[in-house]
Amino acid sequence: MNNLTSRQRKTACVVGILVLLVPIVILGMPAGDQAEASGGVLARLRSEHDLGESDLGQIDPTSATMNLVLLGLRGVAVNMLRMDLDHYKDTKNWAELRATTDAVITLQPHYIEVWRFLSWNMAYNVSAEWDAVPDRYYWVKEGGKFSQEGTRRNAEVPELYWETGRVWGQKVGRSDEWKYFRKYFLSDPNVEKFGGGVDFEVNPKQKDNYLVAKDWYTDANTAEDARVQHIMMRALFRSYPTRSQLDYADALQREGKFDSRTVQAWEQGFDEWTQGYGKMTFKAPECVLYMEANEDDVRLMAEDNKVDERVVHRWLNHYQHTTNYRYWRSRSHSESQPETGEAHKLIYEGEQLYKQGELAEALPMLQRGMGLYSTIIEKHPELADEDLTAEEGLWAVMLWQKILELQEQPIPETYALKALWERHQGLLPELEDRFNRLGL
Amino acid sequence: MNLQPVDFDLLFGTGLWAVVTGSFIILFLIVAFATSFPLYGAAGPGRVIAGTLRGFKEFLSPSPRRIYAIAILTFKESIRKKALLVFVVFAVLFMFASWFMASPSDRPDMQVKNFVAFVFIAMNWLVLPVVLLLSCWGLPEDIRIRSLHTVVTKPVRRNEVVLGRMLGFAGVGTMILVIMSAVGYIWIQRQVSDNVELFCRVPVYAVAGPEGVAFLDRNGNPGKGVNVGDVNETRSFIEGGTRAAGIWTFPLNEEADTLKLESRFEAFRTYKGDMNRSIRVRYVLVNEEKSLRVPLPTFEVDEFGANEMDVARKQVWTDEQTLEKKEVDLYKDLAVPSEAGTYGSLVVHVQCLDRSQYLGVSRGDFFVRLPDRSFTTGYCKAVIGVWLKVLIIAMFSVTASTFVKFPVATLLSASVIIVGVVARDFLDKILSGKQAGGGAAESVYRLLTHMNDTVALPANPLTTSIQLFDHALQHLLWMVKFIIPDLRSFGMSDWVARGFDVPWGGVMLPSLAITVGYFLPCVLLGYFSLSLRELEAK
Repeated sequence: MNNLTSRQRKTACVVGILVLLVPIVILGMPAGDQAEASGGVLARLRSEHDLGESDLGQIDPTSATMNLVLLGLRGVAVNMLRMDLDHYKDTKNWAELRATTDAVITLQPHYIEVWRFLSWNMAYNVSAEWDAVPDRYYWVKEGGKFSQEGTRRNAEVPELYWETGRVWGQKVGRSDEWKYFRKYFLSDPNVEKFGGGVDFEVNPKQKDNYLVAKDWYTDANTAEDARVQHIMMRALFRSYPTRSQLDYADALQREGKFDSRTVQAWEQGFDEWTQGYGKMTFKAPECVLYMEANEDDVRLMAEDNKVDERVVHRWLNHYQHTTNYRYWRSRSHSESQPETGEAHKLIYEGEQLYKQGELAEALPMLQRGMGLYSTIIEKHPELADEDLTAEEGLWAVMLWQKILELQEQPIPETYALKALWERHQGLLPELEDRFNRLGL
Repeated sequence: MNLQPVDFDLLFGTGLWAVVTGSFIILFLIVAFATSFPLYGAAGPGRVIAGTLRGFKEFLSPSPRRIYAIAILTFKESIRKKALLVFVVFAVLFMFASWFMASPSDRPDMQVKNFVAFVFIAMNWLVLPVVLLLSCWGLPEDIRIRSLHTVVTKPVRRNEVVLGRMLGFAGVGTMILVIMSAVGYIWIQRQVSDNVELFCRVPVYAVAGPEGVAFLDRNGNPGKGVNVGDVNETRSFIEGGTRAAGIWTFPLNEEADTLKLESRFEAFRTYKGDMNRSIRVRYVLVNEEKSLRVPLPTFEVDEFGANEMDVARKQVWTDEQTLEKKEVDLYKDLAVPSEAGTYGSLVVHVQCLDRSQYLGVSRGDFFVRLPDRSFTTGYCKAVIGVWLKVLIIAMFSVTASTFVKFPVATLLSASVIIVGVVARDFLDKILSGKQAGGGAAESVYRLLTHMNDTVALPANPLTTSIQLFDHALQHLLWMVKFIIPDLRSFGMSDWVARGFDVPWGGVMLPSLAITVGYFLPCVLLGYFSLSLRELEAK
């Protein structure tokens, strides 16, 4: 090379560059407008395997810039940020924690577990650190909004839709603070900003939190049609939209709403559970099955799968047991009946009267409620196995017994729900604890 | 961060400075005398004395005109070296900053914190490296291209070269900083929502006891706060519904019709209780000598927020013992005679009223709030903190560049600054013996043998050798501690970001004192290094 003149060296370099350009162009040419057909080898492979940024979801220019600027040091930067994040949580520096959360996700916009963890961290961990309920709700919203953002950036990932549904459904509807959270979901406590209405970023259609969760779970199922989720058994994952509908109906009852809206919610839940979810097919190890099945259906499934009916029965039982299918079927069916609503109403109103000290009025109301409740359990005996149902029945008996005690009357030898009372003695210590804590 | 730093003792600091500087001068002279013998024989010490005297004489009569000329030339040279290109990066950062700062918009307190932090991080990261590189580059480059040789043959003394260089580079840094801080200030004002008021609180913290806050236990006897198992052990907890209390003693230095008390406590619940309201707290103004216990209105704690209460000078209250209505004066009746304040001290007991619930407190959580200062005041003070760093870096880097070449000078200065800012706590921990795992040799031994730092080393000769070696190193580190500046107090933006004014005694004064304190040793070292250096060598 040293023997070459300057011109020769330059020419050699130019030729080398041109030669190298050919494979670069073949490999790396970007895709054109007709994405799948055009572009270099890498562009076509990216498109084929859905690996391009635009295939994953909304492109974030900030994130792309940061990753480019950091060259290969993204991992180091993320590690440092995660350590900062933990430090800020321990030292309760919430502003820094929020900003660092955004910084981490800017660097890892397609790392699903990071989205899941950080969303959960804010909605569950950080919110619990605050004392005032509106503050806790603010952080629940932050976690949920963060998860929503995750679905925008990773449009095809079912887990993130499910995670968002969990925050709006389970966290808002089942926390200790659920009464406040559900109220805030429709009337945000930040009156200055939302004027007493909803936070439209969270609840644009101004619906109940469980119905919003249902929409997210439905989106999760749609995404799951195209891409496998890795967080739970498929049969459970697919049940969430309908479970949200059932939770919605249940929440209305918990809030003492026993009008036609509640009955309709249960009816809709029953239809969706039996005709929608119940008819969904799942691939068990030895057969393909659906859960809303009678003997004829079992026979048909056995024929289709070319297995013995006992095999179908075994897997059907397994799936129904895992998803609590039969309980929810009976529950939604029974709750759709007018007498069930009436039983709940009587027990609920009896409790309210007791709290107001109207013992004379509360006692017959509770007795009627217990009687109706007992009839329902006789009609749907599988309900008696479920803790929630049992707890409500035991609660009614406890209130009734307390009133008798206060009125200095003996507890009769036989009474409605006695069988339930004796069967679920194990639940009593916790219920009694709750009973005492509420000062009842 | 510690928002209530202990006031800097200027007298002690000055004394320590004199001892350390004097010790180094003496050490330097001893080394000079020792090395002069083999080099110049019996005439050696005489030459050292003559050189030292000449140096001090030159020091006492510097020419401001020549220093100014070199400073101006340094300034122009820096501009020629495209130092101002840093503004391009700055402009790009601020143009796109809002992209990177998806700040939670409906919590203004968080907004302000993040914006202020961003501006100061940007300024620090852009200005300081520029000043460091320029300062380390200047003199070695002059020596390399022999322009310094032409300067020192003129009637320019070497201390003037060093001083001029320091001034010039500090000037460049100052100019960049002033422009950036002005842009940063406008940027913050534009970013922050209209409904957010920017201001700086001026707190008067309680007199520091041996454990920060004094506590009464559940029976009302002096005791300790409760540890509820929080990872963050900054706060101790007061048990609710008992006689337990935290005691703050505030110095009263000026009379006013109302006294504003502000607190930011943490609530810890052992059971959910009434979720619709927070933990209830009350302050009780106490004068034990006069048997006065004046309870102030109960309030619900606003966790992680500010609980503000205006306390009128005249307090009408009901004596909880006699149920009589009484009136007291905050300054005449309640103030306890004390040297801490002109008007004595005000003792405030803080109690949590909810049974089995706890209130987390630390000394800095509760303070008397004087009239607020403007955000501009706090912001300017924080900028001064960055500026003092610019000065320190310029001084250190120019000094380093007088005896080593550019890359080594850069490494040396950067290391000193990084240790001064980041590793100072670690250094203190090692020297105080609080660092688990022992010294360098012990740490290596533990790493190689996979030994946990809580397990004692075996008693054998190897352990003795390791400990002796570490002990010797520790002495060396002890000396290094006095050479490396403690730059922790220079980061003043945290106060402003949290809505507080930068304290003078605990933050600004030590920063100023450190900067001034390092000036003379740096110039002396730079001068003698440059004098002894062979300028012809590249």
